Amino acid sequence: MNKTILHLDLDTFFVSVERLINTELQHKPLLVGGTSDRGVVAACSYETRGFGVHSGMPMKMARELCPEAVVIRGNAGTYSKHSDMVTEIIKEQVPLFEKSSIDEFYADLTGMDRFFGCYQYASELRQRITKETGLPISFGLSVNKVVSKVATNEAKPNNQLKVDFGYEKLFLAPLSIKKIPMVGDKTYQTLRNLGLRKVKTVQEMPMDLMQRVLGKNGVVIWKRSNGVDHTPVIPFCERKSISNERTFDKDTIDVVKLRGILLAMTENLAFQLRRGEKLTACIAVKIRYSDFNTYTKQMRIPYTSADHILIPKVMELFKALYNRRLLVRLVGIRFSHLVSGNYQINLFDDTEEALNLYAAMDHIRERYGDKSVVRASAMGARTIGRMHNPFNGQPPIVLAHRKQ
Amino acid sequence: MKFIVSSTYLLKQLQVLGGVINNSNTLPILDNFLFDLQQKKLTVSASDLETTMSTELEVDSDNEGTIAVPAKLLLEILKTFPEQPLTFVVEDNNTVEISSNHGKYALAYADGAEFPKAVELASPSTTTIMGDILATAINKTIFAAGNDDLRPVMSGVFFQFSPEHLTFVATDAHKLVKYQRADVSASQVAEFIMPKKPLNLLKGILAGSESEVTIEYNDSNAKFSFENTELICRLIDGKYPNYEAVIPKENPNRLTISRNQFLSSVRRVSIFSNKTTHQIRLKIAGAELNISAEDIDYSNKAEERLTCSYQGDDMQIGFNSRFLTEMLNNLGSEEVSLEMSLPNRAGILTPIDGLDEGEHVTMLVMPVMLNN
Repeated sequence: MNKTILHLDLDTFFVSVERLINTELQHKPLLVGGTSDRGVVAACSYETRGFGVHSGMPMKMARELCPEAVVIRGNAGTYSKHSDMVTEIIKEQVPLFEKSSIDEFYADLTGMDRFFGCYQYASELRQRITKETGLPISFGLSVNKVVSKVATNEAKPNNQLKVDFGYEKLFLAPLSIKKIPMVGDKTYQTLRNLGLRKVKTVQEMPMDLMQRVLGKNGVVIWKRSNGVDHTPVIPFCERKSISNERTFDKDTIDVVKLRGILLAMTENLAFQLRRGEKLTACIAVKIRYSDFNTYTKQMRIPYTSADHILIPKVMELFKALYNRRLLVRLVGIRFSHLVSGNYQINLFDDTEEALNLYAAMDHIRERYGDKSVVRASAMGARTIGRMHNPFNGQPPIVLAHRKQ
Repeated sequence: MKFIVSSTYLLKQLQVLGGVINNSNTLPILDNFLFDLQQKKLTVSASDLETTMSTELEVDSDNEGTIAVPAKLLLEILKTFPEQPLTFVVEDNNTVEISSNHGKYALAYADGAEFPKAVELASPSTTTIMGDILATAINKTIFAAGNDDLRPVMSGVFFQFSPEHLTFVATDAHKLVKYQRADVSASQVAEFIMPKKPLNLLKGILAGSESEVTIEYNDSNAKFSFENTELICRLIDGKYPNYEAVIPKENPNRLTISRNQFLSSVRRVSIFSNKTTHQIRLKIAGAELNISAEDIDYSNKAEERLTCSYQGDDMQIGFNSRFLTEMLNNLGSEEVSLEMSLPNRAGILTPIDGLDEGEHVTMLVMPVMLNN
């Protein structure tokens, strides 16, 4: 049976939310993103796009291109609140949906044709969202996720598009290969060098050739170009890792500061693990030097969620990793290989006092926020930490590339 | 060099020794058995450098000599023979020829002098113990020993000898077993850590054995001799953690329950627990024990209720179910008691019945930190 997959995407989501809060910003060029020197554009209004601004671009450059734009730093909390409002409406209206990011949804409408007519149903859903939340939203409707997503991007802004069954290839054929999800700048360059520009050419190519050029990804791109995609709509997003990283406004070589930040990150992530009743078995530390060379080092450890085990391991990794005597631009930590469970107490290493201290600190954090109690050595890093629970099944709220 | 020996007799002895030989050896000579013939006495040895075991066999011969025979090949061929006398003859061309009723087989052998010599124990202390008691002590403790290469002392069993009693302890820092015999004693106080491998061998040989085992030991090695067999091994170097200090003294909450019931409930419930952490939760209130587990990733869930006798405050405690099943399985009693103080302190599992005179078993299991 053919599926019917709906892809919904909130148009310039952060910008729309800002305009909702402050109506004066309507129809004015608007940039949302990091405001420091190293900030990047997370979202930009359609008015600025004429100046060549796009998201992911350094904020400094965007300002030069479009000096009259209003720049807003943005607030993740507000955005997720508005995103939740939209989620609620979708949840009510469709049988199965996947929230793939803060402003994107996939819904499986298979079988609903019989009663309502999917296109009409989706249109009504879109109207309802716009009416109730005031946020513009676009959708694409087709037989699978990839074609629907491409359709949405074609429909934007604030519009809708349906690709009838059997017309997927025809719909994709005249588009640029850049429109296929997963063709980024690098792949685009590779394909352009092969003389490919339109999806049509890829459709006419044998699959083997794509495989030879791009390996496994080539096959996926070829399939996508032909409108073939069998990925299901997954209603729950399970976290496979949790991480935290920090780009400095100014590159630093202050090791004490770096250690303090790593410590604060570890402490915070370890608390997130304990709160979500998770254990990690793999920790990784990442360093980006001022010359943009990025190094990561990871280590397998026995399953744990205890600060006193994780912190020394992180410091050990950092010590092994930081050896270039160069200015550091970014440091970060990732915990992966997560499983649900609680910390297994050790007979010899854990004292009752230490365990009670963990329990008490976690209790305070639960109640007064995760930065209410921290180690003294982590106090220098004030802005590390996040307020939400990473294990609630929702995609991470990231202000897409706040920094470059 | 020539000798005649019964095939099944030889096989039986060699199979025991074969346990010493590692699958992959850095020294090729260690893939061999050492045959040392002194007229009617054939001493066969196997070694992995850490552990050396040798057995004396009665054979029909009037020669002398030493050769190293490939272990795998020899064991394989011996397994196929029905009971019959085998004649081993060492030929000039570095092969040993075995003649059976069925035919002849030739194996290349190495020079016996290449085989590493077993260590001689300098100024050892001695104690004797019944084979079966030693096997039981090993059996009761060895499962609790750890596998962590970073903490080698915990990968062995701690032998503590004193004039009052013998104590055997094993722990991996999450569970601990202390097995004490007050009916056996040593002449002086001594302690050493035995690695797992030789203990597993001893456990296999000595189970049910009525013979006396002589244990000789010094700072670096221990030697176990019984009947016609000797096992010499290197001890684990290092200081054993102070386990007495971590056994909680005050345990106001005491649960008494049928071991079999408890074990089968834990087993059933743990099927539904997380496949990596095996975590289960015990809730005790009044005379009811509630055992539950949940695997959130797959939406599996189980809960069972048992009646038990319980004195103490209502409590909730989480355990790795693997530790509990291992321990409960290892005990042989009808009833067990689980003593606890707090949800973040060790639970002490002890058998209530079925112990010999002077036998004491204490098992400790550390809980997991549950969120309340």
